[in-house]
Amino acid sequence: MAPIIRITDLTKKFGNVTAVDHLNLEVEEGEILGLLGPNGAGKTTTILMLATVIRPTDGTATVGEYDIRKNPEKVRGLLGIAFQEPKMLWVSTPWDIVNWHAKVCGLSTEERKRRVKEVLESLEMWEARHRNVHALSGGMRKRVEMAKVLIQRPKIAIVDEPTAQIDIVGKHRIWNMLTELRDEGSTIILATNELYEADVLSDRVGIIHRGKMLVCDTPKKLKDSILGGDIIDIQLEEAASPDIFQELKKFKDVVDVLQLKPFNLRIYLNKVEEVIPKIVNMLTKKDSPIVSLRMTEPSLDDVFVHYTGLTIEEAQKSGE
Amino acid sequence: MKAIIHILEHDFRNFFRYKWWLVGLISMNLADLFIMAIVYNRMLNPDVTNTIGGYFQFFAPGLTVTGLFASAFMIGREINMERRREVHHYMLSLPMTRFELAMGRVLSGGLRGMLYMSPLLATCLILLPNVPTIEQFLLILAVLFLLATGISGLSIAIAVSTSSLEKFITARGLVYYTLFFCSSVFYPLYLIQSLASSGFPTVLITLAEINPLSNASDMIRSFLLGYPSFSPTMVFNVVVFSVIFTLSAAFAYMKIIERK
Repeated sequence: MAPIIRITDLTKKFGNVTAVDHLNLEVEEGEILGLLGPNGAGKTTTILMLATVIRPTDGTATVGEYDIRKNPEKVRGLLGIAFQEPKMLWVSTPWDIVNWHAKVCGLSTEERKRRVKEVLESLEMWEARHRNVHALSGGMRKRVEMAKVLIQRPKIAIVDEPTAQIDIVGKHRIWNMLTELRDEGSTIILATNELYEADVLSDRVGIIHRGKMLVCDTPKKLKDSILGGDIIDIQLEEAASPDIFQELKKFKDVVDVLQLKPFNLRIYLNKVEEVIPKIVNMLTKKDSPIVSLRMTEPSLDDVFVHYTGLTIEEAQKSGE
Repeated sequence: MKAIIHILEHDFRNFFRYKWWLVGLISMNLADLFIMAIVYNRMLNPDVTNTIGGYFQFFAPGLTVTGLFASAFMIGREINMERRREVHHYMLSLPMTRFELAMGRVLSGGLRGMLYMSPLLATCLILLPNVPTIEQFLLILAVLFLLATGISGLSIAIAVSTSSLEKFITARGLVYYTLFFCSSVFYPLYLIQSLASSGFPTVLITLAEINPLSNASDMIRSFLLGYPSFSPTMVFNVVVFSVIFTLSAAFAYMKIIERK
């Protein structure tokens, strides 16, 4: 099946600064694609170009079957966006904002009333629906911004840092809503600098750094791409013999084996879930009983460090 | 068309959020009219008073037009604010064409100006001596609407071309003072023209002659006071102004704002 979004050499320059640098990416229909990168990496600029809000300096993208340069109106008809900073005038009220948005997106009166109530209630904004935006907290404004997309239920939803400034309960609620939106058929682009959010929500994650797409794959494959990134700590009943060392090193996916203490081994390897039964079998055959076993997989944090050479905090600082 | 109606709804709702402020402004405009009329009537040269038939009568159409100008210009302030808070990103992402968006904003600015101006025009119709014919009344409304959309377009063009509130306010002040004071809003055009012999810059006299505020004020005066005599040039100047600035606003929205 053809991808629903195909980005080709997309570039945006602001004066001498290249915000997005020849970005190439394909987004499959019905997936949640996480764009992971620190502030200033180029995520929001990419989103604004996809939404036809700003023009690319070079390159293009097709959304659905429409080119963002040639058919921007058609592209806008397919998209719904929750911006990073809530885009609303402070004299407006949540009800007015989302109700008007639903009208512009063509929802019938009946459907609009139902969905507005449903979404504002689920985001716990129903009580505050007639309060002016300036009287709302940052988190509440963010929820109003999210409400627009959830009411619209667009073919392609773009959400830019949807849970920034939102408490942990609210985060989980929004994550569930985004998953439901995907399950109902929307394709979602999730721009975030929260590694955990990208990991739990995304079908695939693209890491953007300094305007470039460094890598894009499923979280699992990204983690597996770090050679020796998985770790097993094994405690044995007796000290490990040299024979066991040799046997462990023979496994194809084992990168290194260290003896931390006489009874404790640390194994660096790939594809931990495939190798671990084989290791347990081997130790059992060698009559070397296991006291405890602990596995650690690399996180997206490790993946980010692997591809950029920086932690996301360091990348954030270097981008400021 | 539906998209334009949505934009009108959006902008009218914002306009009415300040309804008590608007009521206050209209009341102040009317108070200005009466106070200035009393004060200026006593200050004017009797020859001028005889020609214009009292300053209240003369100033009422001028004030109507300045009220229209100020209220139609408000849309620019809102768009500039949207731009500074990047709300324009949201507006530009909506499923409508840039032309619909631009036209919606220009029209809403114009219609809001008409709404604000209506009590002032009603005051003119009630208190000035002549009753216009239906055709004259419709022409007044049409010209004032064109003027309002032109002003709205001018304010939008300034709003999207200026990045900060300071720059917008400076530009607005410049436009206000140039168009208000180089016009026949406060003083009759024949008096301004007579200053040529005493070395008054010709460019300012020409500006007062072609100024759409002069032309709209004088057209109302010609129908409600009987002077100066009506000329199609009055309508033509307003149409030209309206077309230029409506197109400027559309161009600005469609091009300038998207580039940034």
